Amino acid sequence: MAVLAQQIVNGLVLGALIGLIALGYTMVYGIIQLINFAHGEVFMVGAFGAHFLARYVLPEDVRWYVALPAMCLAAVAVSIGVAVAMERLAYRPLIGAHRLAPLITALGVSILLQEVVRVFYPGATAPLAFPRMFVEGHLAIGPVTILWTGVLALAVAPLLAAALHIYVERSRLGRAMRATAQDPDTARLMGISPNRVTLATFVIGAGLAGVGAVLYGIHYTQIDTAIGFQNGIFAFTAAVLGGIGSIRGAMLGAFCIGLVKSLAGQYVWGGVQYDYVWVFVLLILVLMFRPQGFLGRPEGMRA
Amino acid sequence: MLVGALLPWASTVLPGGAYPDRATLQFFDAPHLVSGFRLHLVLLGVLAALLSRARKPAGIGVAVIALVHMGFLIGLGAPSIGGPVALAGGLLLMWPGLTAPAPELKPPGPAVARLVLLVAFAALVWLVSETLTAGGQSRATNPYGGAEFLAFCGLVLALACALSAYGVLAWLAALTDRHRFFAFSVMLVCALALPFTDAGTGYWMTVASTIGVYAATAIGLNIVVGLAGLLDLGYVAFLGIGAFTAANLAHVVPFPVAALAGTATAGILGIVVGAPTLRVRGDYLAIVTLAFGEIFFRAAQNNIGGLTGGANSIPGIPPISMFGHAFDKPLGVLPAGSLYYAVTVVMVAVAMVMLVNLRHSRTGRAWAAIREDEDVARAMGVRTGRAKILAFLVGSMMAGLAGAVFAHKLGTVGYESFDFSESVTLLAAVVLGGMGTVPGAVVGASLLFVLPEKLREFSDYRLMLFGLALILIMRFRPRGLVSS
Amino acid sequence: MTLTAERVSMTFGGLVALDDVTLAVPGNRITGLIGPNGAGKTTLFNCLTGLYAPTSGRILLDGRPLAADPAQAMRGGVARTFQNIRLFPGMSALDNVLVGRHTRIKQGLLAALLHGPGFRKSEAAATERARAELEFVGLGPEGHMPARSLAYGDQRRLEIARALAGDPAVLMLDEPTAGMNGTETADISALITAIRDRGIAVVVIEHDTKFIFSLCDHVYVLVRGRMLVDGPPATVRTDPRVIEAYLGATECSK
Repeated sequence: MAVLAQQIVNGLVLGALIGLIALGYTMVYGIIQLINFAHGEVFMVGAFGAHFLARYVLPEDVRWYVALPAMCLAAVAVSIGVAVAMERLAYRPLIGAHRLAPLITALGVSILLQEVVRVFYPGATAPLAFPRMFVEGHLAIGPVTILWTGVLALAVAPLLAAALHIYVERSRLGRAMRATAQDPDTARLMGISPNRVTLATFVIGAGLAGVGAVLYGIHYTQIDTAIGFQNGIFAFTAAVLGGIGSIRGAMLGAFCIGLVKSLAGQYVWGGVQYDYVWVFVLLILVLMFRPQGFLGRPEGMRA
Repeated sequence: MLVGALLPWASTVLPGGAYPDRATLQFFDAPHLVSGFRLHLVLLGVLAALLSRARKPAGIGVAVIALVHMGFLIGLGAPSIGGPVALAGGLLLMWPGLTAPAPELKPPGPAVARLVLLVAFAALVWLVSETLTAGGQSRATNPYGGAEFLAFCGLVLALACALSAYGVLAWLAALTDRHRFFAFSVMLVCALALPFTDAGTGYWMTVASTIGVYAATAIGLNIVVGLAGLLDLGYVAFLGIGAFTAANLAHVVPFPVAALAGTATAGILGIVVGAPTLRVRGDYLAIVTLAFGEIFFRAAQNNIGGLTGGANSIPGIPPISMFGHAFDKPLGVLPAGSLYYAVTVVMVAVAMVMLVNLRHSRTGRAWAAIREDEDVARAMGVRTGRAKILAFLVGSMMAGLAGAVFAHKLGTVGYESFDFSESVTLLAAVVLGGMGTVPGAVVGASLLFVLPEKLREFSDYRLMLFGLALILIMRFRPRGLVSS
Repeated sequence: MTLTAERVSMTFGGLVALDDVTLAVPGNRITGLIGPNGAGKTTLFNCLTGLYAPTSGRILLDGRPLAADPAQAMRGGVARTFQNIRLFPGMSALDNVLVGRHTRIKQGLLAALLHGPGFRKSEAAATERARAELEFVGLGPEGHMPARSLAYGDQRRLEIARALAGDPAVLMLDEPTAGMNGTETADISALITAIRDRGIAVVVIEHDTKFIFSLCDHVYVLVRGRMLVDGPPATVRTDPRVIEAYLGATECSK
């Protein structure tokens, strides 16, 4: 029982972190129907940006309440920079290109970013230790323990998702986003620039991924160049599971993925060596039988 | 223009004086003799001076050679004088000037055409052999091998561009198309003759047969991606399935049976992976194939059912052996590995025939229609689900067969050979060569699997460059480098 | 061959697009379907070509129900063109027509791999037929051109050739003269008549009422999802209900 509760908590924490990435997937797909394969790498470069700041810029003895916001800022800045460059240089020129082009490009961007970091970031060929932010503290509820970093993730992720939801519903830019998602041509006629909306979407998604990267780093205390790809796939699965294009759906899906991974690792045949596999099995089943996800609407056939 | 043509030549004279202390190194030996890359530069200079339409291609070649040359010198911490001069010459040649119109090439009579094709393919094999061996095989004996190889590639590129500028390549392609059967036979014979050239050593035969395995696999992927337009991101799994099946059966049954079993197993799993295509479209399908690929990789890594050996891989797979002769041993005058090379050549040939024949058939047209517009294809009566599964089936069987050969050739199979980056590399080969084209996949696979072999100092950058290549090709040449 | 819709209704969510529509398309006739925008013409068209399954009612081809599957409809003998031309743009004109011939070509996979004599015969026959269709619509010399590089009017013709290659009993044309000038429209008119003379039933959806009344043997008028009137052009064009519901505006504006 205690093990079950503990695994559920672990799964929820992972879900919260994945959710921050999934929001970026779901928003970009909602607006331009692009599976931005490289979004996971935006998360990864954010983690390395924060690592760089903590390791090479900040003094050794800086207190956590200074370091944490600073690292978040660094991660967000790096993530946004990379995402904007990616959108401008790789995706935007492809408007009107043939069908496979954007996806192959996204794959190329993903590989390129991973390799650039692996080759050029000092020490990135092996996993890097991420700075520890809190003194080994944790919250204990009965037999279940949650690291403070986990508590932070569980608090911040839904909060940011809620903020994003409100922003998209209420703000001018949010309305422009929803209009563009519905019908880009009509939105253009109404004076909305699809290019600007797309860019804004990339920026918001990257910002969330950057915050997620710092939370991920301090919780799991180590990062490597593969975290983007791996968690990116999880996040994509989460976005699809929840109904791609839906903000609430992405968060919901992410918690499901987190739970599946941690519970499957504990209870299903094969143990942790196969927990990853069950996420993929889930992904395939969802895409086949409910591609619109929990909260999405079915897509009609065009004719 | 004349100045431009002379500059490459001038650059060959200059470095002689510039590095007396390096004259002992092989790269710069005999400073006043014209050999190696200097010969190439002179050749290109002459080419540019004599043929006006070849000026730009020659310029490209000269610039490539100069850049390589400079890059390596700077890498060695040495100043380069000849390099910049040659680069300037190359750039000058590329300057758009007046060009003569391309000559009209008439299709010749059948006899002449055959002769031309024979010569062309023989020349091609010679060129392949020279390219393979350019720069030597070992970094220990020749530290400049990488540079020499790249410089030679620059020359080949220039020659190809020059031929293309005069419409010779298109003319040859037309001839090949007209005398398809003859051209194909000649090509096969020429390819099989490679062991008799400079490349006829055990080392190069091994390299060439590895390329062959990947080329056949890339052709299979080209059927799925290029013909049917289904992006498969987990394709290397089928190579792995073929390899592991053959590896497990290697001690029990003779090679043909093991190969057949590998092909069949991969085919069956191809149908399983293809089944979601009935319900899943476009980008989502790519993700499903990626998921299958990752599941396979994880399963293989964890030695599922004791079939893959996990981290220990499966060692000790016997070589293919027929008529009492093991394929890894030399045969008569042929160097070791020649037989494997022959097997892969035949396999690539079969794959090419399959690709071409399928493309010009009802099935191939149905695939093309699905690729262009799936809804309309349905409205025209194409059973799209069935056609897509068929594409997966054919493609995965091809990879399964290649996998079986792969296992026997290497003698050991481990899960690391089938990770995501291999799928990406294969995809890059297909995209680079041109989706749906026949020579495309072969050229792409050769490039992507030869380059790391030749340029070990760049092996760290391999994937990075592939990623960049995918982006740039999609941006600037979405139809691939080969397609005209 | 007769294609009929029997009391077909179609609703999307709460919206009634077709309400109890009955229509019969006899062979050897050109049948016109007109109606103001939003009348449900395209919905009916999509039901007749197997793209939509009607909410209630049946689509029959020679008395047999037509499956709600475009591929089956094409096999059954109902071929179509698209309002906003949808060719296979990267394929040659000839290959486009050959895809239209898909359902009538018999080739096994093994035969396709080996290109044996049987395969070559079937391929040659199909190609000959495809060329004949290109010739028929007036695109004889354009066979090798990629579809995307054809002129707009030629693309319309190519779509018709592609549909004809499947030996249809009924050819459904969705606004075949959209965006064409007078001469081109007259050419298409002649082409449609020639198709009818081959014994193929033709259904034409059109906004251009003049075109429909001069061309068709029988005209149906669809208004707000209901079949308002049908009959020979002469009767329909003078029917007061039609003039009120649909023609009034156009006639006045002329």
